[in-house]
Amino acid sequence: MVSVQLVKVTKRFGSVVAVNNVDLEIPDGRFTALLGPSGSGKTTLLYLIAGIYRPTRGKILFDGKDVTNLKPNERNIGLVFQNYALYPHMKVYDNISFPLRLAKKPKSFIDKKVREIAAMLQIDHLLDRYPAQLSGGQQQRVALARALVKEPSVLLLDEPLSNLDAMLRLKIRSELKRLQKDLGITAIYVTHDQSEALAMADKVVVINNGVIQQEGDPHEVYRNPRNVFVASFIGSPPANIFPVKVDLVEEPCVILPGGKYCPKGILAERLKNLGKETVLFGFRPEDATLHEVPRHDGIIMEGEVYTIEPLGREVIVTLKVDGNLVKVIAPPTTTGRISQRVYINVPRDKAMLFDPDTEKNLRLIG
Amino acid sequence: MMGNGKNELMGPLVTGYKSYILIGVLLLVSLPLILAYSTLIITSFANTIVSNPWVKFNFTFDNWIAFFRGELSTTHARIYTTGEILRMIGNTVIVAAGVTAVVLGGSATSAYAYSRMKYRWRKGSLKLLLLLHAFPGVALIVGVYTIYYYTLVKYIPPQSRTLYSFFFVILARASLEIPMSIWILKGFFDRVPWELEWSVLIDGGSRWTAFRHAVLPLVKPGIAAVAIFAFLAGWEDLIYVMIFLPPNQKTLATFIEGQLASGSLETSYLPIMAAAGTLYLLPTILFFIFTQRLLLETMSGGLKG
Amino acid sequence: MKLGHKLSNATFFLLPAIILIAAFYILPLIVTTWISFTPLRDWKISQLTEFVELENYRALYKFVTTHPLGSLVLKTTIVFVVFTLIVNVLGGLLLAIATYVIEERVSLGFRLLWLIPRMTPLAVFGLIWYYFFYGSPQGTLNAFLLKLGLIDQPTFWGTDPNLLPWSAWSIIIFVNGLVGVSYGMIIFYSAFKSLPPELLIAAKVDGASTWQIVRHILIPMARWHLVFVTVWQLLSLVTSYTHLFVLVDWRIVDEWYGTTWALFVFTEAFGTVKNQGLAAAAAVILVIIGSLLGLLTLRIMRFDKITLEPKGDI
Repeated sequence: MVSVQLVKVTKRFGSVVAVNNVDLEIPDGRFTALLGPSGSGKTTLLYLIAGIYRPTRGKILFDGKDVTNLKPNERNIGLVFQNYALYPHMKVYDNISFPLRLAKKPKSFIDKKVREIAAMLQIDHLLDRYPAQLSGGQQQRVALARALVKEPSVLLLDEPLSNLDAMLRLKIRSELKRLQKDLGITAIYVTHDQSEALAMADKVVVINNGVIQQEGDPHEVYRNPRNVFVASFIGSPPANIFPVKVDLVEEPCVILPGGKYCPKGILAERLKNLGKETVLFGFRPEDATLHEVPRHDGIIMEGEVYTIEPLGREVIVTLKVDGNLVKVIAPPTTTGRISQRVYINVPRDKAMLFDPDTEKNLRLIG
Repeated sequence: MMGNGKNELMGPLVTGYKSYILIGVLLLVSLPLILAYSTLIITSFANTIVSNPWVKFNFTFDNWIAFFRGELSTTHARIYTTGEILRMIGNTVIVAAGVTAVVLGGSATSAYAYSRMKYRWRKGSLKLLLLLHAFPGVALIVGVYTIYYYTLVKYIPPQSRTLYSFFFVILARASLEIPMSIWILKGFFDRVPWELEWSVLIDGGSRWTAFRHAVLPLVKPGIAAVAIFAFLAGWEDLIYVMIFLPPNQKTLATFIEGQLASGSLETSYLPIMAAAGTLYLLPTILFFIFTQRLLLETMSGGLKG
Repeated sequence: MKLGHKLSNATFFLLPAIILIAAFYILPLIVTTWISFTPLRDWKISQLTEFVELENYRALYKFVTTHPLGSLVLKTTIVFVVFTLIVNVLGGLLLAIATYVIEERVSLGFRLLWLIPRMTPLAVFGLIWYYFFYGSPQGTLNAFLLKLGLIDQPTFWGTDPNLLPWSAWSIIIFVNGLVGVSYGMIIFYSAFKSLPPELLIAAKVDGASTWQIVRHILIPMARWHLVFVTVWQLLSLVTSYTHLFVLVDWRIVDEWYGTTWALFVFTEAFGTVKNQGLAAAAAVILVIIGSLLGLLTLRIMRFDKITLEPKGDI
């Protein structure tokens, strides 16, 4: 297994900069997710690691060894494509054995390996079929088997679950995670689905506009988003973020509808030093609670019920707070009527403030 | 390729009596075409020229039999032997098959390169191909014949000249089809997902392996389409065959041409020529019956490029 | 990967086509140009190294300006190209519209029918028109006209001196039009087919008649295709000669009233006269005209849009 390192990597397509000066460390034997919306450059990043694209500038290292100018086949990688890219004219057995045949391995060895990997992925009964005769989930396993059969040092996965239906996706998600742990292989996983990234990865790398927005373990990225993009991209529903006025007259505070939030310590200092008239205020929907009368142990806002969506396990209440729509996850027993006035309570340590211009989280600056 | 959305979502734009009027008009406009082709085909099975609906005729295979026996005049004098007639058909097949082989060999790998590889002059030469497709053929044939004649006289021993002329006519005729064939095949290659190819390259395959084992098997319809067009091009050719093949090596085209141009019309029995013509038309008809969609789609795709 | 490696790779794949194109396009073009400066006649190849400077071009100029046949060739070429072009483009458009608006099965039948002339062997195509215009009561056209009482005795339509020149011109336009019209039909038809169906459904819902849909949606949408087909067909008509050769060779039409510039090159080189030097000079003129039209086509054809760029850097 290897670690992968990207050093100041830039990739341009004509005048479009798909990946911009990226530095990235992908740890050995761990599961790393590259997370971003479509067009963010995440697949380009994966293809750069695979060698399908060559960087316009920068270096790619495998275990410290420069592979920038190596062809894909010289990098010992396995790649699972979004559309699986199974050879439609070859049976499953031939699909899986193809990489070994190209490597001119002895027949008996190939047969042993193919059956081994097929058994591991529970597709050993499908070896005589053609890809078109398989379900989406089965095709996915065949693609995985083909990528793994040559024992690559890095496994690259390009949105491998996005062509599956929702139920199957959850099932394969946990299987894939387990498989990676069992094999101890370095895996890089591209996805636009934040829940997938959080659920599977040891390390999440959030990408937008070809730039890495934040990297870290899933909990860290979720709890402490570095900027507005990360906060509003991760979470379902994502964090609520809206502009609020700043009042620096006595102590640094932000003015909320029906309340006020005066941070303490370093955050107060940063808010003061920022010296701007407005900042962006944010919190996660599950961190807030709703009350008919104001409580006094947290940050208080007044809002008006806009819609109530019962989801069984929980209820999502959308509220209008000073013209902004804000979502709060409430217990399943929550009831209420439209236009009812309620109070939103957010614990002080769960509140986030962002610089309105740089969109950076004030808590994490420095 | 061809969009196919319209008819699933809504019926034809014109329906009812109006559609019958329109179809009637279309039939009327197509009448010369229908008449001309049916004249040929029906006459080949008749004892006289069935050139209009009022002709009374008897159904017969005599014309076909006479043609294969080489009895090409009203007096049933034997002008050719059956062997010579078969030889003529054989020559036509040889040229058509040869052209098909050369066109496929000459265009498949290039079309792949144009679809999948980056190299200098890629775009420029692609434009050049388009220009070549429309190049004045008559200007080429003067030069091509000069090269042929010069090399034939200077370097080819007399006993190899027939072989050489077949060789040359096939290569020359096939070359005319190369530019458009590359364009058509490129269109088919363009539709093969890139990931298949990348898979091969990642797994250690060469470009050739990717071409041969991952991409080529998926463009079989394209290969078939180009093969059909090439075959028909070689099959139908009159001009090249007439100019390059020695007079004793006839194909169906030069045979018919010779019969009609030689002024032997008085003796030449036109229904027998109709049999020869219908036989000659047979591959076209067969391809139209069995591969109509492929032909139509390739034409629109290929011509668009 | 190194550039050199990549290049040799592509070269390997391109090699067969490069060889064929060099041998059968580039080299012949050079040879033809060469011949136009030699006195080559009757393929006396010893004359290939004699030079007559611009003599052939001068002779050609003289032929066109002073010889009655020369100006006839020019006139025939212009009439043939202009009228066949109109037939091809307008006919193709009308056929495409008609086959687009009717039921799919019938439409397929008609489209295939009109495609047949394009795919018919030249000799067979000549043969069927030989029967059609045959100058006896058995000729299809004569038979119909006699039956309808429009004429009282059969005529050789393409060669009767009383009917020239327009009779011969009509036949060459008609026969070539039947071949060429399918090109426009296919291009326009597939352009119509690529329209999003929602557009037509919306128009129908809004109460547009079929004529209005044709007038306001189909034709404006095919505007670019009209320009493209016109230029491309212009090019192919200027250079086409094979069908004309058969019509003239078999005397379906008069020898001179059926001879365009392109056919003139051919008969001059391979006919009974065999003045290859003159033929080559006429061919070079044709190449120049053809290349200009070809470049014009390239300009108006949205080349970048229709050609995909290769992906990846492998």
